[in-house]
Amino acid sequence: MAKLIIDDLHLSYGSTEILKGITATFAQGEIVALLGRSGSGKTTLLRSIAGLEEPKKGVISIGDQPVFDAAAGLNVPSEKRGLGLVFQSYALWPHKTVFENVAYGLRLRNVAKAELQQRVAAVLDGVGLGHLGDRYPHQMSGGQQQRVALARALVYNPPVILLDEPLSNLDAKLREEARIWIRTLIKRMNLTAVFVTHDQVEAMAIADRIVLLDGGRIVQAGTPEQLYTEPVSLFASEFMGVNNQIKSRVQDKRGGYARIELSGHPLWGKDRAGKGVSEDATGVIRLEQVEVVDGEGENRIPAELETSVYLGSHWEHVFRCGDQTLRAFGRPLAAGTHWLHLPPEQLWVF
Amino acid sequence: MNRATRIAVIVAMAIAVLAPIGLVVYQSFLDGPFFQPKTAFTFSAYEFVLDDEDFFDALYNSCVIAFGMTAIAVPVGAMLAFLMARTDLPGRRWIEPVILVPMFVSSVVLAFGFVVSLGPAGFVTLWFKGTFGFVPWYLYSKTTLIVIAGLTHVPHVFLYTSSALRSLGSDVEEAARMTGAGPLRTALTVSLPMVMPNILYAAVLVFFLGFELFGLPLVLGDPEGILVLATYLYKLTNKLGTPSYQLMAVVVVAIICIALPLVALQRFLLRAANRYVSVKGKAAAQKPVSIGVWRWPAAAMITAWLLFTVVVPISGLVLRAFVSSWGEGVNLLDVLTLAHFRELMEFPNLTRGIVNTLLIASVGGALSVGVYTMLNLAAHRWQSGWTKLMDYLVLLPRAMPGLVAGLAIFWVFLFTPFLSPLRQTMIAIWVAYTLVWLAYGMRLVSGALLQIGPELEEAGRIVGASPGRVSRDLTIPLVKVGLFSSWLLIFVTFMREYSTGVYLLAPGTEVIGSLLVSLWGTGAVDLVTALSTVNIAMIGGGLLLMSLFGKRSHG
Repeated sequence: MAKLIIDDLHLSYGSTEILKGITATFAQGEIVALLGRSGSGKTTLLRSIAGLEEPKKGVISIGDQPVFDAAAGLNVPSEKRGLGLVFQSYALWPHKTVFENVAYGLRLRNVAKAELQQRVAAVLDGVGLGHLGDRYPHQMSGGQQQRVALARALVYNPPVILLDEPLSNLDAKLREEARIWIRTLIKRMNLTAVFVTHDQVEAMAIADRIVLLDGGRIVQAGTPEQLYTEPVSLFASEFMGVNNQIKSRVQDKRGGYARIELSGHPLWGKDRAGKGVSEDATGVIRLEQVEVVDGEGENRIPAELETSVYLGSHWEHVFRCGDQTLRAFGRPLAAGTHWLHLPPEQLWVF
Repeated sequence: MNRATRIAVIVAMAIAVLAPIGLVVYQSFLDGPFFQPKTAFTFSAYEFVLDDEDFFDALYNSCVIAFGMTAIAVPVGAMLAFLMARTDLPGRRWIEPVILVPMFVSSVVLAFGFVVSLGPAGFVTLWFKGTFGFVPWYLYSKTTLIVIAGLTHVPHVFLYTSSALRSLGSDVEEAARMTGAGPLRTALTVSLPMVMPNILYAAVLVFFLGFELFGLPLVLGDPEGILVLATYLYKLTNKLGTPSYQLMAVVVVAIICIALPLVALQRFLLRAANRYVSVKGKAAAQKPVSIGVWRWPAAAMITAWLLFTVVVPISGLVLRAFVSSWGEGVNLLDVLTLAHFRELMEFPNLTRGIVNTLLIASVGGALSVGVYTMLNLAAHRWQSGWTKLMDYLVLLPRAMPGLVAGLAIFWVFLFTPFLSPLRQTMIAIWVAYTLVWLAYGMRLVSGALLQIGPELEEAGRIVGASPGRVSRDLTIPLVKVGLFSSWLLIFVTFMREYSTGVYLLAPGTEVIGSLLVSLWGTGAVDLVTALSTVNIAMIGGGLLLMSLFGKRSHG
């Protein structure tokens, strides 16, 4: 069942259009990442769902209830939407203890004292801070503050929980732990969650589904696997992974494949954009799909090894082929010319 | 606050601001006081004032004094700011709090201090005469007035320049040093140009304050008949025998017409200045610039300035309050007495004045901060035409010097039937004070409000709190400390205020400031110095409280 529905949402600041028609559906129990660069409109979309921004057109419904409908003049204020939001800065109230920060939402809902005590304690336990209720936010580490912010958003069982770059203020090591921890917690509570991030690795690690935004529009929506292995555009392919790009021209087309060339060597790749023959096109292949092989053959090109970088678990090699460079992972290599295999099904032509 | 409340608050403020000004403009076109039954519309008041040589004399004097004091205060203040904020000057930590003293002491009190110390029969004058046989200065000349006005307004320039210099990251200076500029060159080509908009703002502010000057010219200009606009207005009260309301109204209109563009200019410059400094470098730990042997002459200069503007007048005044007589050949130790203070206690209006001043500063100040907070909350995080209107309305009272605002409020209380019974109560004084310091108080409170990030309030809305509850449970508790320190500043400000109460002075509405002005007119120097000393002590108490509180909230 759809928990949150957004239909043709438009929003502008003055004459600048931020959201240019967003339509999306979020199912019960689903974790969705809104992924995009800064300025893509992802945070604005999240704030519109929360009721902190007012779109000029479109509909937002939670459950079956519309909370925003521009045509009907409906705009339910934030406090009446009953959602949970974890702010990027956490926005913990410095004059309240951890307990009071979390309890505030329940106090506003006139929850009886005994039940309030018990629910706050339960949710603080849930985020692993059961013993720190008396502290003030400034007495806690960044990671702990983030957990308090999450507890505050969860305590009144919101139908949907929103997270604005929840991990961006944590250091790298903590962030990796938090990814798994947050996903486990949300899944265990069977919550519907929408979170904003600019980090595709974070999006893939936490989300069931990713909505990729650019310039106020949805570029692609799907599972992390779909977005990584079947990007619909050059932008999507570039955003989701680390690629080699081959600037060329379509030479020939056959059975869903297109032929481009790299300094005179023909390369077949999946035709992803339907470019016609002799149109400019870009070949894209993920770094890890480029293989260093022994001899020539179909879709293989010779390239000069320019430099190699040791990265611990593997080496990254930089090859030069004509006026273009190609990067690949692999074992240590000797200097000189090597043959590279670019499998046609892994090479996308946009 | 919901929309309707916000609009109601803004409309109420608009009425409070526009009513006095409207009444003054209306009065200026009548041929008699507005409360008289038979008055007609006429330009005769304008004709009279524009025909009066004294008016143009006063206007000319105001201009000369404003220019002169700006020319003195700006370079001295800017230099002082650089020395205090950026160099390794010895004793910086001790000098800094003292620099602002002239801002906190009311200027009539300072003027009295100059008279008893440097006047023809002053302590310092007599001592100098006794030691060297001659006196090279004359206190009651226009030049002396300009010098004193200039030197006592140095703190304003210092305040704005030094805060800008402090928020400037030392990285921009270090970058200049790395490219090969020496410390002096760095100061002249990087630091000072970067804070130039702030200096310019301070210059316009001082020029504007020069136009508003009342206490100094009243005390120091009067003996030689040097009039400025404010003292001209004050003298005009009885120029024609009867209170000539229409003439006063015309002068008030003239003062507002000059002040308003200056206020608008200040506002424009302040915005420009803020924009400029916001592109500052990282304000990390600043390393003071070493100025080598120059530190000693610099320190000597600052000491001389402090001696002249703070130590000499204030110590003279306090000393005068404790002696029964003085003169050539009198040993001051023999004539020490508390008689003046005892005498003070015998006048019920004076003791009432002291109590009233304490009340208006503490209770009244707290109420005013409450009003400023309400007004700020009405505009808080709201972009609309109403808040823009409010921005401009706040400027209007700024263009009314205290004397003028007091007069206008006095008239409003006379004019409005349901207000007139309150005219001779402290409520009238409180309304006038709150209005005069509206812009200042609004800025204090909005500064505190700006400290809270918007997401703290948004978080409240998300968890389910209505806008009203967000204000009550989150915004107000979060700015509590800021509101308290705003109250302390307003406390000191109301304590030293002297001109606003002048026209409102009546049995029951005495405050120290207005009593001082009227007592000075009667020549009761003993009482004036004793009351001034009490005022200084009260202000000192306020400042002490402020520094204690400042230490606590920082630690």
